[in-house]
Amino acid sequence: MEKIWGKTWALMGLLLLNSVFNVSSLSVTVNDVECVYEYVIYEGDTISGNFVVVDHDIFWGSDHPGIDFTVTSPGGNTVHSLKGTSGDKFEFKAPRSGMYKFCFHNPYSTPESVSFYIHIGHIPTEHDLAKDEHLDPINVKIAELREALESVTAEQKYLKARDTRHRHTNESTRKRVIGYAVGEYILLTLVSTLQVIYIRHLFSKSVAYNRV
Amino acid sequence: MTMILRSALVLVLLVGILSPASESLRFELQSGQTKCISEDMKSNSMTVGKYHVVKPNEDHPLPDSHKLTVKVTSSYGNNYHSAEKVESGQFAFTAAEQGDYMACFWVPEHSPQITVTVDFDWRTGVHAKDWTNVAKKGQVDAMELELKNLYDTVQSIHEEMFYLREREEEMQELNKATTSKMFWLSFLSLFLCLSVAGLQFWHLKSFFEKKKLI
Repeated sequence: MEKIWGKTWALMGLLLLNSVFNVSSLSVTVNDVECVYEYVIYEGDTISGNFVVVDHDIFWGSDHPGIDFTVTSPGGNTVHSLKGTSGDKFEFKAPRSGMYKFCFHNPYSTPESVSFYIHIGHIPTEHDLAKDEHLDPINVKIAELREALESVTAEQKYLKARDTRHRHTNESTRKRVIGYAVGEYILLTLVSTLQVIYIRHLFSKSVAYNRV
Repeated sequence: MTMILRSALVLVLLVGILSPASESLRFELQSGQTKCISEDMKSNSMTVGKYHVVKPNEDHPLPDSHKLTVKVTSSYGNNYHSAEKVESGQFAFTAAEQGDYMACFWVPEHSPQITVTVDFDWRTGVHAKDWTNVAKKGQVDAMELELKNLYDTVQSIHEEMFYLREREEEMQELNKATTSKMFWLSFLSLFLCLSVAGLQFWHLKSFFEKKKLI
């Protein structure tokens, strides 16, 4: 890691503080608790992201509690938490730099797939501008532009994940509806055949003929 | 320990962290556990992945029990990368087909349960582009590089919008097909019900007539 930094440092004369820390929208299967760690370099960086629970082949009933999401700062306190949701966006300012923990907790025993995207964005401030003479005010604007584009990308990833879940729901509904309809027909035919057989049996000679 | 070292390095270097930063995703693996991370990729998109085990002790070499087994497969089952018992590695490929690509990590069984921290950096599409090489080749200055990067990002956003639109259209078609199928199925169900009732009636009538009850 340090070698790569050294190389880029040597290569680039100009310095850019608009660093972008990206995690593309990834999917993890959550059985109980799944945690993901991200390192925040600068204090005051905006941590933004979203997550969507993509149904794991099982249709979620309306009484499913949802998934809990917690963000823990390196100091150990919970910075942000969302309870019982099937997907949401989040954005907050990191109170300090360090390793942040993003945890998904699944209260039910069925595994669920979560598609998440976490982005840590840094925009250089006047303090950074003062510290480093290579940094132009234009770099700040470029950083802001980059962050705005990243927020568009984040929205897109959220939409894509929700669209995927919607598609799964639709496909599952279609399969189940057709399955139930065909099953219903078969059951109906079976029941009526059994009815007829039973009535015939009631009238057969072996059973009390005169009873009827 | 490593955190303090790293942040010290950051302070010393101060700036110069180029856009595809070396920061990445971290997760923990218990012995014998498999964790898979999947990413949806479009066809003909570049992807680069780097992974390494975070050493609990900087000085001592990593014991065998902490070494990873990695497998990167596509949703169709094609294997794009696999490595056994490695401490670190990387892979890069162009996605041949559109779909979910899965990178699975596994740590062998060990009697006292150990937790291995894996650092994984997976970039696809725009972020996979190696900007240091582009800079080297073209001798462009940093700002131009930044703007090129932004332009590529905007292009990819535009393409993604097209893709989302296509998918929405597909879903609409699916829903329409389901609705029309339901329509015909309801007629079928009515017809079936009536025909079953009619058959019963006809059969029982002829049965009773045969038995000379009617």
